[in-house]
Amino acid sequence: MDATAKPRIHRRGTYEYVMWAICLLIAAGIAYSLITNPRYQWDVIGDYLTDGTVLKGLWLTLWLTVLVMLIASVLGMLVAIMRSSKIPPVRILAIGYISVFRGTPVLVQLILWFNIAALYPNIRLGIPLTSIGVKLDTNSLISAITAAIIGLSLNEAAYMAEIIRGGFNSVPKGQLEAGDSLGMTEAMKIRRIIIPQAMPTIIPATGNQLISMLKETSLVSVLGVADLLQSVQLIYARTYETIPMLLVACIWYLIVSILLNYPQSKIEAYYTKSRQAIRLQKVEPVAEVPT
Amino acid sequence: MTEDVTPPSLEPFVPPGMGKADGPGTVHIRSLVKSFGPHAVLKDINLDISAGEVCVLIGPSGSGKSTLLRCIDGLEQIDSGVLKVNGEHLGFREEERSFKPLKRKELRVQRTQIGMVFQQFNLFPNMTAVENVTVGQIMVKGTRKAEARERALRLLAQVGLNGREDHYPSQLSGGQQQRVAIARSLAMEPQVMLFDEPTSALDPELVGDVLDVMKGLADGGMTMMVATHEMGFAREVADSLLFMADGYIVERGDPREVLANPQESRTRQFLRKVL
Ligand SMILES: Nc1ncnc2c1ncn2[C@@H]1O[C@H](COP(=O)(O)OP(=O)(O)OP(=O)(O)O)[C@@H](O)[C@H]1O
Ligand SMILES: [Mg+2]
Repeated sequence: MDATAKPRIHRRGTYEYVMWAICLLIAAGIAYSLITNPRYQWDVIGDYLTDGTVLKGLWLTLWLTVLVMLIASVLGMLVAIMRSSKIPPVRILAIGYISVFRGTPVLVQLILWFNIAALYPNIRLGIPLTSIGVKLDTNSLISAITAAIIGLSLNEAAYMAEIIRGGFNSVPKGQLEAGDSLGMTEAMKIRRIIIPQAMPTIIPATGNQLISMLKETSLVSVLGVADLLQSVQLIYARTYETIPMLLVACIWYLIVSILLNYPQSKIEAYYTKSRQAIRLQKVEPVAEVPT
Repeated sequence: MTEDVTPPSLEPFVPPGMGKADGPGTVHIRSLVKSFGPHAVLKDINLDISAGEVCVLIGPSGSGKSTLLRCIDGLEQIDSGVLKVNGEHLGFREEERSFKPLKRKELRVQRTQIGMVFQQFNLFPNMTAVENVTVGQIMVKGTRKAEARERALRLLAQVGLNGREDHYPSQLSGGQQQRVAIARSLAMEPQVMLFDEPTSALDPELVGDVLDVMKGLADGGMTMMVATHEMGFAREVADSLLFMADGYIVERGDPREVLANPQESRTRQFLRKVL
């Protein structure tokens, strides 16, 4: 046979075979235990997976995640812009915000918002130090779900602000100088230069935050908000089937986060690819048009 | 106080046929000092550039050429001295006892009248060539889109880039990118153009195209200040040559004379190395 046509067989190391064996062993062990241990109560899990209460909880978890991420992105963008300001008091406000909301546990923040009436029994909307405005009862204003939305959004905005600022910082200084040289205002530079160029850094990181937020929303169950976790807790408080019900919640969290993983990996691939494409194109400039 | 301060040390070189008048297309600098922290980069700069003059800046690395150009473009704030571009104090208004900072809006208007071309082009990678050239016109000057595009296409043609208008910077060669950058600056209709080593980042075979565009601008009567290592350009195109070292202007004169017969020993040393 012609030597040039012979296929090349690649060597598989012993290491790879050993790891495959370990993988299979672990999988088999887990499967065996899941199937043979009756205390998992798979029948209960099956019954409740699509139970009305559970699905309602799942729906709340989903829209809460999306809503919180939307508010946090907008607020985070604002804080990031303030954080990059040349004017010290504006910067200090943003730094203060980020420090407070990132530096304390989100669970504690949620409980505090829920109990905000203990600090401020009434909220007055109006001009400070004057008598103009309306007085509102805090307790009627801040329900559990409002506290959940406020608490999670304000906390997440601090993280988003840092992600967005990281994106801003990835824009080369020369870009801003080119904008300055054209006489652009700060707002013009942010809109046309900084944000478009920072997006490739910001978007993949935001996708990651979205997946984290899906699970972080389970904290609102402590406020009695009927999210996915709270819904299964309500059921096992009645039936005492604690483990199967927690597994029902886990299965749903897992399914949704795997579903979210897919667009996330696509987005990441898109942005790495478009950067690679730019690098490749640089190597082969388009030929000159004869004039 | 009027702007007519006589320079303390150096008698300003005025190229033949050019006046010392104030106004559009001129640069006047007296006793300019610029430091970064404790490090004085520009120590005592005195300089007059007439309308339509092409002035080439040369000097060793770190001598302050870029810093001087950046000050004239308002990218760096000067510490003291007088800096007038297009007949106006840049960024400030002269009052009885002090210089008061201009409103941001007024400073931006001044900036549109000064064009800057950077060594690294600094084109906006998220915009096509034509968008790069229209963005300033539309956003800053409020030009209508169609009109801005028309001017952009004309300028791109002027720098030899017909048919390249919808390419992104990443799809253009360095020389083409730099010519788009020149068109972007020209679109704002500046009266003074500053070039900071515009061809230093280019492959040798691409340098000529950019220099040709610059030569065309010079022939059209644009006031230009060019930091460059291209001595051929200095000889052929420039009206004056300025040698900087250690934050001072050491020598200034007719480019052919200075290159052939430098008066200062620092200049001689430098030219021996680069010629
Ligand atoms: N932003 C800055 N902060 C601190 N020092 C600076 C800054 N910009 C420039 N310098 C210093 O100022 C000096 C002059 O720099 P400048 O870039 O003006 O020199 P140059 O003549 O353009 O040199 P080159 O030929 O290498 O471009 C250098 O010593 C440099 O380190
Ligand atoms: Mg330089």
